[in-house]
Amino acid sequence: MTESGVTFDAAQFVLDNEYARLIKYAVRGVEVNDQTLLVDDIIAVGAHKDYLSLDSTLARMREPSTSQILDRRVREDWEADGGNEVNVKARAKALEILDSHQPAPVDPDALAQVRAIVDKADRERGG
Amino acid sequence: MTKRNSYAGIVSGGGFGLAPLSEHDFRQIHLATLEVLEKTGLFIESTEALDLYSDGGCIVDRETHTVRFPPHVVEDAIASAPETIALYGRGNPAHDVVLEPGRVGFTNFSEGLQFVDPRSGEHRDSTKQDLADIARMADYLSEIDTFGVAVGAHDAPVRTAAIHNAEAQLLNTTKPVDAGPIDGKDVRDIAAMAAALVGGEDELRARPILFMGACPVSPLKIPADACEIIIECARAGVADNILSMAMSGASSPVTVAGTLVVHNAEVLAGLVLAQLAERGAPVIYGSSTTAMDMRLATASVGSPECGIISACVAYIAKQYRLPSFVAGA
Repeated sequence: MTESGVTFDAAQFVLDNEYARLIKYAVRGVEVNDQTLLVDDIIAVGAHKDYLSLDSTLARMREPSTSQILDRRVREDWEADGGNEVNVKARAKALEILDSHQPAPVDPDALAQVRAIVDKADRERGG
Repeated sequence: MTKRNSYAGIVSGGGFGLAPLSEHDFRQIHLATLEVLEKTGLFIESTEALDLYSDGGCIVDRETHTVRFPPHVVEDAIASAPETIALYGRGNPAHDVVLEPGRVGFTNFSEGLQFVDPRSGEHRDSTKQDLADIARMADYLSEIDTFGVAVGAHDAPVRTAAIHNAEAQLLNTTKPVDAGPIDGKDVRDIAAMAAALVGGEDELRARPILFMGACPVSPLKIPADACEIIIECARAGVADNILSMAMSGASSPVTVAGTLVVHNAEVLAGLVLAQLAERGAPVIYGSSTTAMDMRLATASVGSPECGIISACVAYIAKQYRLPSFVAGA
C-alpha cells in the first residue's frame, strides 16, 4: 500500500511477500544444540580448510534464506542482466501471476448460491 | 498441511522478537484501562448491544448510551475468548492457518480506495475486478496467510459493496478471507455465501474459511453498525477482528501509553459484547492505531509510531491470550 493505505500497488504486494518470507525466516531464530554447534566439524576443519563439502553443510544446504525478487548478485551480473530496478522485476512477477494463476474453481451449484445472495442484496438495498 | 507460523521471541527455541513493554508496563496499562472502562465507559449506539451489556452485568445508561464495565465482567470476557483460532482454506488444506498469540503471520493491508494498474501504470479508483485480481495474487503468494479487502469495488452499489467485495474475495482465492462487512446484514449475507461454498452453516462453523472485522470509533465509541457486526459474528461462529484505529494526538492521547489505554478500552468493550452475545466467541485483538503527523494532519501509517504501537498491541494481546492483528503498511 502507498499513501498510508489508500492505494494498492501489485508490484509492492509481490515485494511485501518477499519481505514477509524473509521476516518469517528471521523470526524462527537460532537453533542451539549439538547438531547446530558442530564442534567436531569446527575442530576438524581448523584454520586451513573449508566447510563446503562437509556432510553437515550438504545436509542443511537448503536451509539458508534465498531471495526471489530482491537481487543478491554482484553489480556486474545485475547490469549484464539489464540492470532493472527491483520494482521492475516485482511488476513483471505480478503480471506473470495475474496472467497465469487460477485458484481452484468453485462448484457451479455453490457459485449460483453465492450469486443469488449478491443479487438479492442488490435488489433489496443496492438501489 | 496447516500453516503454523513461528512464534516470535520464544527463548527456549531461539526466535527473534521485540519486548516493547515490560510485564509491569502491561499491568499499568491493563489497570488504567479497567479504570477508564469502569469510570467513563463507552458510548454504545446499538440498543440491542445495550440490552446485552445490561444483562451481562454492565452499568447501562440508556439515555446517554453509556456503558460502564465492572472489572470482573471485563476479566471474564478476556478469559472466555479462545486463544486459538483455526481458519481453513476453501477446499485447500495447504491454506489452513492457525492464529495464536505470538505466531507471526502476514496479510495484505485492507480497505484501499485506489489501484495502480500494473499493466498501464494508471492510478485510478479500484473496481471489483481489481479486487478479484489481487485475490488471485494473494492466492499465489506464499507468505500471505489470509486475504483482506485490498481495495474496494467502487463499481458496485455503495450499500452492497461489502457483499460484492466478499464475493470477489471468496471466489478468487482459496486462502481464508478477511471480509469487511459494514453492518449486521452484511455479516449474515457474507456468512451465507461462505456457507454455500463449504456445504452449509454447520460446516462453516466447524471449519471457517473467513473472519470479519468491526471498528470502534476513537475515542471510546462503538457505533451501531460495529455493534451489529460484533453480535452477528459471535452468533455465526465467525471470528471477529475488533480493530481500533485511534490516532494519537487527535482521537487518543498524544502519548503511546495513553493511546494504548484508549485503544485497549475500545477493543475490550467490543470483546465483552462478543462474549455476552455468545460466550466463547472467537475474537481477534486488532489495531490500526497510529500517530497523527502533527505537521500534515494525516495518519502516519508505516511510521515508527505505527510499528511501536503495533508491537505493544501484539504484546498486550499475548498477555490476554488472544490472537492479534496489527497494521504495517
